[in-house]
Amino acid sequence: MTDNTLLSAPWRHGMPMHSVAWHADTGTAVTLNELHARIAAWQTTLDGLAAPGQRWLLHHRDPFDFAAALIALWERGDSAVLPADDRPETLTALDAQTAGRLGDVADGHLPDHGGAKPRWGSLVAGRVAVSLYTSGSSGEPKRIDKTFAQLDAELATHAELWPLEGRLTISQVSHQHIYGLLFAILRPLCEGAPLAGATCRYPETLANWLMRLADARQGDSQVQAQVPPGAVLISAPPPLEHLPTELDWRAAPSVLARVYSSGAALSQAASEHAYGVLGVAVSEIYGSSETGGIAWRQQQRGECWTPLPGIEVRDDDHGCLWLRSPYLPSPGIWERQADRIALEGDGFRLLGRVDRIIKVGGKRLSLTGMDRALAAHPEVLQARTLALPRHDTRLGAIVQLRAEHLPVDHASRREMIAALRSKLLGAFEPTVIPRYWRFVESWPTNAQGKLSAELMARLFRDLDDRRQPRWLGVERLGDRQCRVTLEVPERLTYLPGHFDSRPVVPGVVMVQWACELAREHLELVGEFQRLERVKFARLLLPGERVTLTLAITPVAQGARLDFSLDGRHGAYASGKALFGHSADEREAVHVE
Amino acid sequence: MANALELELKHLIIDTLELEDVTPDDIDPDEPLFVEGLGLDSIDALELGLALQKTYGIKLEADSEESRRHFANLKSLAALVEARRVD
Repeated sequence: MTDNTLLSAPWRHGMPMHSVAWHADTGTAVTLNELHARIAAWQTTLDGLAAPGQRWLLHHRDPFDFAAALIALWERGDSAVLPADDRPETLTALDAQTAGRLGDVADGHLPDHGGAKPRWGSLVAGRVAVSLYTSGSSGEPKRIDKTFAQLDAELATHAELWPLEGRLTISQVSHQHIYGLLFAILRPLCEGAPLAGATCRYPETLANWLMRLADARQGDSQVQAQVPPGAVLISAPPPLEHLPTELDWRAAPSVLARVYSSGAALSQAASEHAYGVLGVAVSEIYGSSETGGIAWRQQQRGECWTPLPGIEVRDDDHGCLWLRSPYLPSPGIWERQADRIALEGDGFRLLGRVDRIIKVGGKRLSLTGMDRALAAHPEVLQARTLALPRHDTRLGAIVQLRAEHLPVDHASRREMIAALRSKLLGAFEPTVIPRYWRFVESWPTNAQGKLSAELMARLFRDLDDRRQPRWLGVERLGDRQCRVTLEVPERLTYLPGHFDSRPVVPGVVMVQWACELAREHLELVGEFQRLERVKFARLLLPGERVTLTLAITPVAQGARLDFSLDGRHGAYASGKALFGHSADEREAVHVE
Repeated sequence: MANALELELKHLIIDTLELEDVTPDDIDPDEPLFVEGLGLDSIDALELGLALQKTYGIKLEADSEESRRHFANLKSLAALVEARRVD
């Protein structure tokens, strides 16, 4: 049997022409030789920066480059710190504890062109290989160190349960997190199977790649030797929920051997949807950054989770899950988790998180109980309450309503709040009833499928800045297009607040919102230059719910932003804003 | 003028308590401020008491029958301010 561990460094050996990556769109392979050259190039860069034994911040969207950088620094005797995302604040927070930034981020070092051979070092079981950050669904992101031994224990389980056997790994998730790192990068590397040459960002790309792989399998035998015998998909709830049925998925059932999902539980409806579209049952992995994988399931076979081999679970009097796992830093110790379970046969059902208890006005309150009470109303699909640090403590509620119940203006919003309040008053003290309500049409989640602390803060940001609209979620329509749902706060600074006159949002404020939100969601940079063809079609009143559609088009002198603000009565405002190149970009253009 | 003072008090209530879904128009001067009506609670009563003291120099016993009477609705609150303000 071949050794599939990181410690055996399988990338050092093998046939020079063996493919480590495969580009489905061109049908070309990237060989082990090329990987070695890239590792050597990264090492040249690193040697120029610091002596071995460093911690490096590493972020790179390209899976091949990411893998090469990781191996290069491991073999040099360094370790990697993987930021959860590439926002400037995230990166800055890590600068103090790292020797430098590597990859596709601002001030990130990239590999030198160098034809030298890579240097192999020695990998030690107890050495920290990577440090990851939790996505923080409950508070501040937390750093988690993983040793080679911990990662290897997990990789061995996967290889045993679901051997890749040379199949192509296609990933729709970020490898800056533990799940993507293990499944999309380390598994193929260790098992000598190719990874896709790029992250698969859109369902159209996925359908296309699967079709091309199927076609390539039909090609002549000369070419076929390079073509992977099939594929596995590393996915997550958001992309699986939104798999469009109208694409051509004919190749999927024959090409895809497995579909994985992790990050959050997949709803039963989404599981059925993905199964129907792809023709392959989704294997869900339950776990966390801290614990690694705990159990897995396929909902077509039932709701129960089966512990992964080597993992032991039990419950306590409170129904909490206790775990003993070789993936934890202390493999022999039982550790209590924040999830409640019901043991069933050889597995368990997940019953949700342990109650979150807070104090409001001196009274203890279970937020979990409040969430359940809200979700019990027929109009409500899902609800999440949280403590906001305002006047002692006040609750905020994020409530997903059926589309037909979404408030559209001040009056219908007040009605909805009054209706929910009066129902809650039967079971709760007035002081603990949510004061700040955010009604959403779709449940807000990050790329891992979680309603993160960051997203929750975003939903209530207008409370601290009265110049901002109420932000109720963003829907991506493509690379450079999105639709943001907004409400006009009744206490917006810009509304002339006179009793008798009619408060409205000034047109210039609508334009300001469009520009700010385009910078936030579409990475619009550059200086504002001018407006074109701006129309204000009707008055925008406090409490009204609107959608703001934003699209960016690159133009010779910078970028053009098309915006349109619409509500149930039709268009409120539309127009174009032009932006020049930012100072950085101008420089880059000049240098080239 | 009663109306001007009532409007001033409406703004004071909304701003002090950070009521995000209430406009001055939504506060009926005759409707109860607490529980039913506007739906204020005991934490709000404390905040409002502090604001009255800061703005008008009016001191109220925290949890007395008298305070409760003054806080019954916007009209009674306006009457209190009219009678006891120290400007």
